[in-house]
Amino acid sequence: MERNLEKTMDDVINTEGVIGCILADHQGLCLGAKGKASGDSAGLIAAIADQAAKLEPGSKSPIIYLQNDTRQCLIHRQGPVVAAIYKQVSS
Amino acid sequence: MGCCYSTAMGCCYSFCKEDSGPQSGEVSERTHLLVDPVSNTTNILHVHSDDYVNHYASSVPKKTDEQSALNRILHETAANVIDIGALDSHNLEQHEYMDRSKAYSKRIETVGVKVPDISSCLLTDIPAPERILSTEPLPSADRQLIKDMLDKAVSALGDVKVEHKEDLVVPFLS
Repeated sequence: MERNLEKTMDDVINTEGVIGCILADHQGLCLGAKGKASGDSAGLIAAIADQAAKLEPGSKSPIIYLQNDTRQCLIHRQGPVVAAIYKQVSS
Repeated sequence: MGCCYSTAMGCCYSFCKEDSGPQSGEVSERTHLLVDPVSNTTNILHVHSDDYVNHYASSVPKKTDEQSALNRILHETAANVIDIGALDSHNLEQHEYMDRSKAYSKRIETVGVKVPDISSCLLTDIPAPERILSTEPLPSADRQLIKDMLDKAVSALGDVKVEHKEDLVVPFLS
């Protein structure tokens, strides 16, 4: 069941610097969210991944890396799953 | 010069008048097809040539009046037209722009008006982008992290199955 999904997210959350993560399905529906991350963002994250993939059609799906002074956000799609990881910037 | 001309004109008019006068009743090759508007205005035709000269002389200042009126119209039109090509394009220099921005914000502060912040943007501006732009695009550790996570997530999602535990349709009355 979804225990493996939960475990995957727990593993990521326990990585140093990670403060939150989200998994969304291909439609942008939330599969799970852990830490400082809202399930409401799942649709946005899937949309960002889809739009970024349109920049270079035919190439592999990109890893989107958003960053500000304090936080980073990684977004990536693989098959039917879109993942986002929020990290604290180590200063 | 003007005198001769007007005299000749006077003669011409009188000639025409005398000529057309007796024949007004019958049609000939000299009959005007169109009604002459000048001959209908009796005032000019019956005027003596000397009188006509006077009349013409008095109309000379009228001509300058007309000229000045035309000039006035020209000036008025020129004053009303905004010639964009002739305008100097005033480009703000960077420091000028900053000065104005400072002056305006100072003025707003003193007045105490709160400018409504209507921009609710997902992405916000950062003060010094150079520092972030100069860093490595994507650390390989982060790349590995999200790739591993997705590998696991995809396989975990494949494991998600519907477990049959109880019947969906339950008979109420049995």
